[in-house]
Amino acid sequence: MDYISNQEPQIQEMLQFLGITDVDALFADIPAQIKLARPTVDDGLSEYEGSKLIKSLAAKNTFSDYENYLGAGAYEHYIPALTGAICSKSEFLTSYTPYQPEASQGMLQIIFEFQSAICALTGMDVANASAYDGASACAEAVLIALRSHPERKKILMGASVHPNYQAVVEQYLAEHGIDIVKIPFGVSGELDFDALKSQLDAQTAAILIQSPNFFGNIENMKQVVALTKPFEALVIHCANPLSYGLFAPPGELGVDIAIGDCQPFGLALNYGGPYAGYVACKQALLRQLPGRIVGETVDKQGRRGFVLTLQAREQHIRREKATSNICTNQALAALASLIVMLWYGKEGLPQLALTNYQRAAYLKQQLEKISGIETTSGAIFNEFLVKFPHSAAHVQHYFRKHHIELGLAVDSFYPNLSNWFLVTVTETKSKMQLDRYVSVAKELSV
Amino acid sequence: MSQTIFEKSQAKQRAYSLPAEDPVFAAFSPPKDLCRATPLLLPEVSELDLTRHFSQLAHKNMSIDTHFYPLGSCTMKLNPRINEWAASLPEFTHCHPLAPNESVQGCLQIIYDFLEILCKISGMAAGTLVPNAGAQGEFTGIRMIADYHKKRGDHNRCEMLIPDSAHGTNPATAAMNGYKLISIRTDENGDMDLQQLEASLSKRTAGLMLTNPNTLGLFSPAILKISSLVHQSGGLLYYDGANLNPMLNLARPGDMGFDVMHINLHKTFSTPHGGGGPGAGPVLCSQQLEEFLPMPRVIKHGEEYRLQNHSKTSIGNIASFQGNFGICLRAYLYAKLHGHYGLRKIAEQSVLNANYLKNKLAPFFKVPFPQPCMHEFVLQADQYLSKGVRVLDIAKRLLDYGVHAPTIYFPLIIKECMLIEPTETESKATLDQFVRIIEVIVNEIETQPELVQNAPYTLTVSRLDEVKAARFPILKHTVDH
Amino acid sequence: MKKYSESHEWIELQGNIGTVGVTDYAQKELGDIVYVELPKVDKEISKGSEAAVLESTKAAADVYSPVSGKIIAVNTLLSTEAQTVNSSPENEGWLFKIELKDPAELANLMSQEEYHNLFK
Repeated sequence: MDYISNQEPQIQEMLQFLGITDVDALFADIPAQIKLARPTVDDGLSEYEGSKLIKSLAAKNTFSDYENYLGAGAYEHYIPALTGAICSKSEFLTSYTPYQPEASQGMLQIIFEFQSAICALTGMDVANASAYDGASACAEAVLIALRSHPERKKILMGASVHPNYQAVVEQYLAEHGIDIVKIPFGVSGELDFDALKSQLDAQTAAILIQSPNFFGNIENMKQVVALTKPFEALVIHCANPLSYGLFAPPGELGVDIAIGDCQPFGLALNYGGPYAGYVACKQALLRQLPGRIVGETVDKQGRRGFVLTLQAREQHIRREKATSNICTNQALAALASLIVMLWYGKEGLPQLALTNYQRAAYLKQQLEKISGIETTSGAIFNEFLVKFPHSAAHVQHYFRKHHIELGLAVDSFYPNLSNWFLVTVTETKSKMQLDRYVSVAKELSV
Repeated sequence: MSQTIFEKSQAKQRAYSLPAEDPVFAAFSPPKDLCRATPLLLPEVSELDLTRHFSQLAHKNMSIDTHFYPLGSCTMKLNPRINEWAASLPEFTHCHPLAPNESVQGCLQIIYDFLEILCKISGMAAGTLVPNAGAQGEFTGIRMIADYHKKRGDHNRCEMLIPDSAHGTNPATAAMNGYKLISIRTDENGDMDLQQLEASLSKRTAGLMLTNPNTLGLFSPAILKISSLVHQSGGLLYYDGANLNPMLNLARPGDMGFDVMHINLHKTFSTPHGGGGPGAGPVLCSQQLEEFLPMPRVIKHGEEYRLQNHSKTSIGNIASFQGNFGICLRAYLYAKLHGHYGLRKIAEQSVLNANYLKNKLAPFFKVPFPQPCMHEFVLQADQYLSKGVRVLDIAKRLLDYGVHAPTIYFPLIIKECMLIEPTETESKATLDQFVRIIEVIVNEIETQPELVQNAPYTLTVSRLDEVKAARFPILKHTVDH
Repeated sequence: MKKYSESHEWIELQGNIGTVGVTDYAQKELGDIVYVELPKVDKEISKGSEAAVLESTKAAADVYSPVSGKIIAVNTLLSTEAQTVNSSPENEGWLFKIELKDPAELANLMSQEEYHNLFK
């Protein structure tokens, strides 16, 4: 099947108007040696057959059979039904980038509200309309810092920043001749401040720290900011935005650029995407922000309206001097995140963050009581490290028999940390489920 | 006067609900010195007010579902709802990106099979679905070209050739990769200036970024000569897939001589534009570039699929995880429903619709390139400048007649231009109606130009002051608003 | 005495210091200026290189320095009143002052009459 509206009667009329007998006449410029013959057999499917095909592929996914304790940058949260209802509205789903603002006030206002919500959450002055994901947001933030300090060629990056995010930062910097120095973490997974102090110098353009970090630890961002300030390097804080419902946001900490992934807000796991990165910063860095930004203005009658603004930074105007090549971003995903941030709102979001914290703390405490099981110390949000007295493969296999995906075997990212698991607990896990996890863990450790 | 959701906040109102707390959880509270000191200034809104707020905003937005949307270079075709159904299945939405391979065989198979389809269409050997958008695909492809030259031990390849008609993402991407840009001009026929191309090619050429048909909607008849010239110089060819729609199963970029390319799934493969994303920009490449493809990749072992996360030669990661899988899933179904047969029909009908519309509009505008176009075409409205009417004004007046304006002022090299792309999904009746509307507007330009100069009138706002927005940026809700 | 470049910049000299701005033609072409990016004071600039950027809502135009030298002052008024470049491009809308490195470069620039002849 296809979605072509015109059929033989209309096609004939159009060909006649053009004075040709076959559409093929319009392709005369295609060199014969590369022009493909028209397929003769219709290998398409009806909608019904297509739906059966998809269902058969869906049936090959068995992940839903397991209780999921995986996190590491992608979190299972309850998504309110209103989210899908609004995001699937024709006018949002099938609209385009609002280049004709008068016809796109809906989407423009939504982006304005998204920017506002991100600023409210992070305490920063300005935010953009979204980046692809947390990883690219990190890379864009580093590029902002390098543009702000064009003479400096060094970046410090925590080794406990999500390794995929680190890899993407390195990717974006591949051709820029920048020295990327990784700051190691200590035994508990927290930032090694001695190493940080020894690396900070006048050549440092920025320091990128994730907190809560990959291992779930809350880092001492106040100290990072205090140490960095005298060198005038920029502090970039990468975080799960839900953690700001509870913990001090970057605006309170004196951070220059706040980034991360909005995935915990309204975006299903979807095997990796679409998610939506957020990029927020201090007023002074406004003109270095990449991507689209919506601003408020008035029309001829003085009525309030919204437009894409500060476009001279972007690729379609500035071309090779643009702050980024980004064009399409994650607008509809940002809408989903906005809806969830609003659905929880002023009081609900802190409650959501708190219940995540408490459930994780409960599980961690119960596991710590089991002899043979190790955890790390230090403040966490909703993820933490656990080590069982068996090989990771054995532990995974045992838990899976009980239909539990117990967490991420961390050595897939940090080969030295064998047999450690990153366990993530969200509001989706009831006490009963957590107690079941604990009893399986107990059986293992006998 | 429109209000933002922040301005609708009323004390203690709420939409949320949370699972009942077990008292044992209450024992845990975070260290005070780490907690927020400032209140979280999100609005307090009920579910009804939230629902109404966004539903009202939907009424202020044009979309493909509601309006003809002939934006050139964007391929605004129907976004089929069956794709939305597929993407919402919990068996897909619940899959964690780090889930064990055995538990996500459906996802992995879709990625693998879709790449096979895309390779067949593009005439390429291998690919990746990870890039989150076209620009991200460009970035990936250019990084691969860079590593290709490095591996050859050739460190002199510092220049990237780009036509002056190129989309802004092309030079931006090249600059992000540290290349010096050499601009190649487009001649009066809408073709690449071959003489200038030859003169610009050298041992410093890393590659040429090109879209074919180009941004004027014209197929480059000299494409085989162009690719041969570039390869002779030792450079590689990058294909910007934004204009792939008219080429589907008609001509393959691989056969044209391209080495690496991206496809915009949110253009050619109907995934919804969503007001500005998410999209997806899969990258396909020739055999010699396969080793540089980003991680992770999907490999097949017998009947089983798994993710490959490491490779010595890969450029590495370009996204948090596997990219916008949800988007790729929609595009996969779209491709399967059409089959190669249906995709070819798309190519042919998109070109028929474009040529029909172009010839119907020709009486009203200047047609800079008289030869048959592909899926889109350029018209110039500079003859109306004498009446004080710019193409911007015509675009705004179209909004009053219930049509979203086409792309204007792009490509940059054509003065007072419109770039129009009807796509294959529009019917003849819609195209005829559009022509009638243009006729009415042209009449207005003749008799009451001020009417056109001050359009639109019938939307929720009239022309907006973009200068004010840029001079005095208000970029978020502020408390004393 | 004012001299002009082909890229529509003007320079007015007082001793060895030149005040640089863009011409009326340039500001008309650009439309409403919304933002001006000025060089840092003490920056060394060579003739013909980008010294400033003028942004409108739809374009960003580079301003090239007509001479080589060191930036000694920039027009800070423009950070809040960017529109001054439109209203008074050859007077209050000046962009920067530069200490000339090589006065001989002035010989390559056009006189007012020669510049106006460009538009004939």
